Amino acid sequence: MKKFVVLLLVVLLFAGFAFSKETLRVLMPIGGGYTIEDQEAIGEEFEKANPNVSIEMEFVGWDNLWNKIVTSIGSGSAPDIMYIGSRWIPALADLGAILPLTEYISEEKKATYYDSVWETVGYNGDYWGIVRAMSTKAYIYNKDMFAENDLEIPQNWDELHAAAKAIHDPDNGVYGIGLAGKRFVSTVTQFQQYLYANGGNIVNPEGDAIINNENGVGALEFYVELSNYSQPGISEWKREDLVKLFETGKIGMFIDHIHNAKAAEERGINVGIFPIPKGPLGEKPYSTVIVTDCISISSQSKNVELAVEFMNFMTSFDNQKAWDLTLGFVPPMVEEKNLPEFQTPFWKQYVEAIQYGVPEAVNIKDWEGVQEAIVDSLQNVILGNQTAKQAFDTAAYIINLLQK
Amino acid sequence: MKVLKNKHVPYVLIIPLLIAFAVLIGYPLFNVLKTSFYKATFLNPSASVFVGFDNYSWLFNFKLYNPNISYFMAAFLKSLLWVGMSVIIKVVIGILAAVMLDSKYLIGRKVYRSLLVIPWAIPWAIAAMMWAWTLNSQFGIANSLLLHLGLVQEPVSFFATTTGAFISTFIIDAWAGMPFMVIMFISGLQNIPEALYEAARLDGANAVKSFFKITLPIMKPVTLTVSLLSMVWTFNSFDVIWVLTQGGPARATETLPIAIYNASFRMLRLGGIGKASAMTIVQVLVVTFIAIFYIRTLKEDTA
Repeated sequence: MKKFVVLLLVVLLFAGFAFSKETLRVLMPIGGGYTIEDQEAIGEEFEKANPNVSIEMEFVGWDNLWNKIVTSIGSGSAPDIMYIGSRWIPALADLGAILPLTEYISEEKKATYYDSVWETVGYNGDYWGIVRAMSTKAYIYNKDMFAENDLEIPQNWDELHAAAKAIHDPDNGVYGIGLAGKRFVSTVTQFQQYLYANGGNIVNPEGDAIINNENGVGALEFYVELSNYSQPGISEWKREDLVKLFETGKIGMFIDHIHNAKAAEERGINVGIFPIPKGPLGEKPYSTVIVTDCISISSQSKNVELAVEFMNFMTSFDNQKAWDLTLGFVPPMVEEKNLPEFQTPFWKQYVEAIQYGVPEAVNIKDWEGVQEAIVDSLQNVILGNQTAKQAFDTAAYIINLLQK
Repeated sequence: MKVLKNKHVPYVLIIPLLIAFAVLIGYPLFNVLKTSFYKATFLNPSASVFVGFDNYSWLFNFKLYNPNISYFMAAFLKSLLWVGMSVIIKVVIGILAAVMLDSKYLIGRKVYRSLLVIPWAIPWAIAAMMWAWTLNSQFGIANSLLLHLGLVQEPVSFFATTTGAFISTFIIDAWAGMPFMVIMFISGLQNIPEALYEAARLDGANAVKSFFKITLPIMKPVTLTVSLLSMVWTFNSFDVIWVLTQGGPARATETLPIAIYNASFRMLRLGGIGKASAMTIVQVLVVTFIAIFYIRTLKEDTA
């Protein structure tokens, strides 16, 4: 009897080992189009193909994603895989919080994406993530308002200014253009559209601040000039809320993602899309900021090989295509853009913008700090506290401190 | 078995509380104090470096957005004003509302008292979201009313100017903290003997005179106690400002808790948790100092 019990215990022990699963913790965002269901479906699919693996997904709103990453790393409980804004890579990489992934990325995988896409996840000679979502931006405009005012698609800033002015009718609650000015990441990307269109940038390839040069100051002055024809009080608006103004016929145009163009169309607005035209100092005819989000592996992960496997699964061609179409992202893979789904007039504008795109945060070491400095400048100029030059001189001073 | 002497019993009984205090308050506070002497960031806590009092001198020397005042001092002074205004509103309106709700002439007193608790029952972040849309310049009911009543000619952007955002946020904070004040004041009012008011009436005093000569003096201990508690809570108020303005526009609402948050999470290179901890320690010391002052005043008053 004693022997039997011992044998049973040994069998149970081995059975326990045999059935124990490897667990992979994955941190994903929700909001801004990201739903829990869409993301859990990918985890479930991977589990089906790998019965010995358990995918534990944790979700957090975009607003709190950075804090969640920082606190979980600080407490030594970082998930294996983290979905991050690519702009955070330098800060996370410098402090050893994420792993370089160059050795895990095959040449074949590399060739799948545009070179500019890899630029957004590169830092110090390594790749630190695999891009999961990419966006370009374009102007979404109300075709009826443009027709009523005999307006053509603006090809430069003068025409853009004239269009905003022509539509602007505040007495009837209609504003020429929707602008963002609230303390939020998208306010900076909204301004960057004008900065890049005017041939400017936040820092040069050496990492020194150049936001206060002629291009940057010109872009800020134009932004503030446009605010005369925007909804009042732009410091209380973030880009994500502008679509509400557009859907209710309160603004004639604004810069945003394709998914908000579709949302407005579903609400009965006669929607058109045009690329962001160049400013007086811009070189390319059009411009856009290329923003990417990527999947990175925490340096605290004990399952790096499995994490890489799951990353490759998430970013397979079929999964990426489904993700982009469902959530309304611009395809980061070269082959995707030829798919019939991306040939519709709306999609075409956003896909074609890639060739004019400039990555959001290349050479910026501490995005959060830079973001603060730029929003501060923007608000100070909008409120009349400083001139564009004064504000950007201060921003440049802060950015240079952050770049040291 | 030895029986405890009577004089030892209270000390034994207080032990669980002391343990809870040490674990829940003492240890975290000690950790914050310890971190305040290190250069540290959340992203790489193991690479902390002991820097002595450097973080404390940083508080007074580090100028970033304003060349005339340090980052910490700007936030600290803003906090003092913001907290002061919010607490004054809570106390003044709180005591007036309590007097009204305690009046025997008020019909439906119980209904009003129940409604009063609503702001307290709503999580602060949700309440702030509600206010953000209520006061929104394009879709908010407040602007709709103002425009329809002809009180303004164009929508007011409450959170878009520095002064507007500063005032709006402390008023909303006062709104959220009001129920506690009113409830405490009502309980204080109910302890005032009615005979005092009757005697005053016989002597010819009107309601206003009774309020200033009887109600306010008797309510002084309650007023001091609740304003102390309110001051401590308001000093730590974060949710309301964060949801409404994130400290903007142009840092107009960047009070100390917001600045501490920014130093911890957003200023990884220029700030870090060491500096944020030093800011926290100074805040704790200031609040403790004010609390001691209050308690002394209270003791003198009741002596």
